[in-house]
Amino acid sequence: MRRVGGSRRGLDMWLLQRASAIYMAIFLPVFLLILLDSRPLDYAVWQGLFATLALKVATLLFVAALLTHAWIGLREIFIDYIHCTRCALLRLFLYFAFALLYLACLIWAADILWSVR
Amino acid sequence: MRFRIYRYDPESGSKPKMQDYDLDFDARGKKVLDALIAIKDTLDESLSFRRSCREGVCGSDGVNVNGANVLACVTALEGLRQPIEIRPLPRLGVVRDLIVDMEQFYQHYRAVKPYLINLDPEPENERLQSPEARAELDGLWECILCGCCTTSCPSFWWNPDKFLGPAALLQGYRFIADTRDQSTNERLDFLEDPYRLFRCHGIMNCVEACPKGLNPTAAIGKIKTLLVKRAL
Repeated sequence: MRRVGGSRRGLDMWLLQRASAIYMAIFLPVFLLILLDSRPLDYAVWQGLFATLALKVATLLFVAALLTHAWIGLREIFIDYIHCTRCALLRLFLYFAFALLYLACLIWAADILWSVR
Repeated sequence: MRFRIYRYDPESGSKPKMQDYDLDFDARGKKVLDALIAIKDTLDESLSFRRSCREGVCGSDGVNVNGANVLACVTALEGLRQPIEIRPLPRLGVVRDLIVDMEQFYQHYRAVKPYLINLDPEPENERLQSPEARAELDGLWECILCGCCTTSCPSFWWNPDKFLGPAALLQGYRFIADTRDQSTNERLDFLEDPYRLFRCHGIMNCVEACPKGLNPTAAIGKIKTLLVKRAL
């Protein structure tokens, strides 16, 4: 079969990986500063921190960024290393399997965060 | 001086092997290619390798010396750990001994259309550029297509048939950056692909390997920047 031209894809994934990295790079130091600022860090203080909607949302976004970043990284690894003649189906299966797994993790994280009152 | 050189003759039917040579040779001021020529002249005339200009301009004697892709003609013998291991460039088919089949490499090079595409009527003399526009091409036009960068790139090792490799991408950007070229959009269309361009993970082996001191990773970064600018 003749190989067809460029698929006009890849840029979106590449950008999303950079965007998620930037969010994580900003969130982590800010989160650390908030923790340092709220010493002594006992259970009541920890719970108080996560009772605020702002930190709930920011943390959920962090988890979303982390999972997106990880999924794109896995996709890169699959494309790099899994390419026998009939492996396209295996790659497709792995994309969906990990997308489902990570989506489940995201919902789970949301459930944990919003269980704090 | 002790050498260990990769030998393979497909016509003989035997497997590739490493062969040792002891060469009585004054290494001062000499290059790896001088030693290869001396071995062929005095020890083993069956040893095969490519060379032409023997001064780092033609790019035909790219080999792997002690694990690094280099041009044999500009790599000094002094300071190399002995036995000096010389192998063909990695991930390309071996035609014989140190001679590799560059067809895949040239295919990727041809794929980026390495020539000016300009549909305007041809001017009387030449298509002019400002000195600033010409300066954009510095660090791009000097490539001699020796293949040292592309064959040192792990992304090329994993997907040699689909990833264009640093050399072809550098040449692709050389014509994207050229103000006289009119097909930037089509060139970017061709490159925007999960394999052709986006297999580059910024490993930067290409920068380390380039005997001309060029930076394909930077050129690939500029292609990505142009793609982003075009998409926004």
